[in-house]
Amino acid sequence: MSSNEHETRSYRTSSKRLGKMLAIIIGVQVVGGVIFFANYDYWNSYLPNAGKLQEQMMEKEEAASSAGAGTPSSTQGTFTGKEIDVSLKFVESPDFSKYGFNAPTGSPGSDPEIDANVGDKIVFSVTNGGKSFHAFAVTASTSGPGPAINGTTIGTADSPLKPGQGGTVSFIPASAGTYYYICAVPGHRELGMNGQIVVGGGGNSSSSIPAGTGGTAPANGNKESFSLAFEVSSDFSKYGFNGTGGAGTNPDITVHSGDTVTINVSNPSKVFHAFGIVTDPNDPSSLVWNASYKTADSPMKPGDSGSVTFVAGTPGLYHYICTVPGHAALGMDGHFIVEK
Amino acid sequence: MVLEIQKPRPVWQIMFSTHHTDVGYLYLTFGITFLFMGGVLALILRTHLFFPGQGVLISDSATFNRIFTVHGLTMLFLFALPVANGIGNILVPIMVRYKDMAYPKLNAIAFWMNPVGAALLWLGFPDTTWVSYAPYSVIRAPGPAADMFIFGLKILGISSILSSINFVVTIIKCKHPDLPLRRVPLFAWSMLTVSLMTIVAMPTYAAALIMMLTDRLGLSGFFNPFAGGDPIAYLHLFWFTFHPEVYIFLLPSIGMMYEIIPRFSRKPLYSQASGVFAFVMLGIIGFASWGHHMYSTGMDFTTKVVFMIGTLAAVPASGMHVFNFLATMWGGRIRFAAPMKFAVGGIALFFSAGAGGVLNSAMPLDFISHGTYWVVGHMHLFLIGTIGFGFVGMIYYMFPYITGRMYNEKWASAHFILMFWGTVQTFFTQHILGLEGMPRRVYDYPVEFTSWTILNQISSVGAWLIGTGFVIFLASLIYYSAKGKPANMDDPWGIGGKYYYPVAAKNPHGGRSGY
Repeated sequence: MSSNEHETRSYRTSSKRLGKMLAIIIGVQVVGGVIFFANYDYWNSYLPNAGKLQEQMMEKEEAASSAGAGTPSSTQGTFTGKEIDVSLKFVESPDFSKYGFNAPTGSPGSDPEIDANVGDKIVFSVTNGGKSFHAFAVTASTSGPGPAINGTTIGTADSPLKPGQGGTVSFIPASAGTYYYICAVPGHRELGMNGQIVVGGGGNSSSSIPAGTGGTAPANGNKESFSLAFEVSSDFSKYGFNGTGGAGTNPDITVHSGDTVTINVSNPSKVFHAFGIVTDPNDPSSLVWNASYKTADSPMKPGDSGSVTFVAGTPGLYHYICTVPGHAALGMDGHFIVEK
Repeated sequence: MVLEIQKPRPVWQIMFSTHHTDVGYLYLTFGITFLFMGGVLALILRTHLFFPGQGVLISDSATFNRIFTVHGLTMLFLFALPVANGIGNILVPIMVRYKDMAYPKLNAIAFWMNPVGAALLWLGFPDTTWVSYAPYSVIRAPGPAADMFIFGLKILGISSILSSINFVVTIIKCKHPDLPLRRVPLFAWSMLTVSLMTIVAMPTYAAALIMMLTDRLGLSGFFNPFAGGDPIAYLHLFWFTFHPEVYIFLLPSIGMMYEIIPRFSRKPLYSQASGVFAFVMLGIIGFASWGHHMYSTGMDFTTKVVFMIGTLAAVPASGMHVFNFLATMWGGRIRFAAPMKFAVGGIALFFSAGAGGVLNSAMPLDFISHGTYWVVGHMHLFLIGTIGFGFVGMIYYMFPYITGRMYNEKWASAHFILMFWGTVQTFFTQHILGLEGMPRRVYDYPVEFTSWTILNQISSVGAWLIGTGFVIFLASLIYYSAKGKPANMDDPWGIGGKYYYPVAAKNPHGGRSGY
């Protein structure tokens, strides 16, 4: 025990100084805690600019894609049309700089465009005529290796087709739009293995009728009358007129320009609705001929019914929709066709 | 606890001092304060996960994310770094026989940047996770919390660069001319290694933080995929800094064990040269393995093999430390006082954590364990098992020298038993939980997986044991620094022999500390 070797006395910690230090630490924490909890929601309150820009970009993309000929569906439809046989061969240019179906991209005959209608069955017979590994898929996305539409793949990027192998697969478009048949191995699509499938409306192909302009026409004295009911499926996922997706849903209404049309609407569903005829189903404000009953601001209550009478104007394809925002997209969108 | 044995001085004098021991006490107080604040968050998380189901303790997942984010940031940047710096500040100038740090004012500035950074992190309470991967942190993490996180880490990064420069200059330029660099004690060597590593590694992340800030402002798109950027680039920049940072956290703890083990084994250190060699090796190899955090991001096979070999290359150097410890203890008359208990416990857990790390670095196994609780268990076994045990042992070791009073050995033993048992129970269990597939950072888990529930409950009980141990630690620190028995300053544990370092620090404010 050599504590005597100290020349100076040892002074030891006092409780007073310890208390002072503790008071400082705890005081700082209490003040910080008060600031923090008093503003609890503020600290995580706004998106960064980059996030706002990204949201705007997404909105624009969505608007652009929905304004096109139609939105490609990500699932297969049902077979109602004709069968189209397509045979494709994966090939590469000798220096592997260009890939393609049937011929390297840029050469004649490569990536043939396929035209079909909704409900047609496109049967692809695919062989790997190249020297590297490939995989076949049909996708609705405009770039990248997927995602593939269910049941349209032959091989995958993980277990691809070896040279000489092949397979058969069929694709039935469920909705109009542009689809692509591609090689699903990442990178190959960008090198040229990318062909278009242009799908038209199919069926009675009302999409071939030019869109109506909304001009007026003098009454010719004919009277037409139709009845429509707003219906909503029990889980509120599907909306429609006179049905929610089954047969008889959204019946086409065909009239002649100048006819005096009366539409009787009823709302047997549990949701508020409003009726209108528009040129653009995505824009409830594009009403024509004052052909509307009630508005989104003061809609039809469940159980209400009423009617609207108007004179059909210039010929073309119009849409009768529910003008409550979002309902048209959920299915309340039928064709109102005006003939000469 | 901040106090030292000299004429009682006003607290303000310590706070505004630039003397290395005073700055060291400030670092220690700061670090220990945040150890407990971060620990409370950890216990909230573990208690929440005791039962499956939402809202067990925390009402929404966003709050859960914020809590584990701040827990990680606190333990790494507000506990581990400041405590290592604090002990380094107190010991390094004495070990190299210089009157103070090379730049005393810079030293104090480096410390006082810490409370500012801490306030930004704690007031914002961000939800980015401590790694703050893009793109979430760039385009979705709500402000101002995430912006405060960026500025807070920026300030802490600058602080650690400044203190690193100070350590490097102190050790290399200010050491006593009679003291060759190879004879500098190993704790000072560990501080030299980590300081050099910090100076090399930290600027990369400082740049990445600026890039993240401009990305968030929408001015640039380095990491923002919607502006043509690459989120993987952020991972590379992040892990280039923070894999070496793992060693920056770890090596001071190894250095502290080098202080404790020879003294309590009553033997000289087995091999100074191998310790120095292993520190330098780890300091270099630490830069060759950042990619092992990113095996699953689609790197090509060759790159992965390079990083795998780089990771495994850390094993021999770590093993040199362990064998050095064992050879020092071998045949010694070991006194298992509290510091020695924690040092030896730390070696055992270092070995277990290292074994888990070897498994992680093997690519095929990494794909199984990636993003699961295995990683949580592995990383915490390192952080608590080695770094925590080393630091706590060193705090017990320095306690009598700093306060002039003795802690109570029985309570310290209770703390050790609770902490050791709790660490094993909490984090070994989490390895198993990870192998059963529980992802990390989840707010809830399905009640159908009964084994997950049981393992989570075992893990949570272990965490409460650790928590109890630390409550004892805190109570001991406070009570015995004011009321403890006066310590015999030459030989507080009665193990014989004079203290290793002949020169005690002269504090210009008068008096004389144990150091």
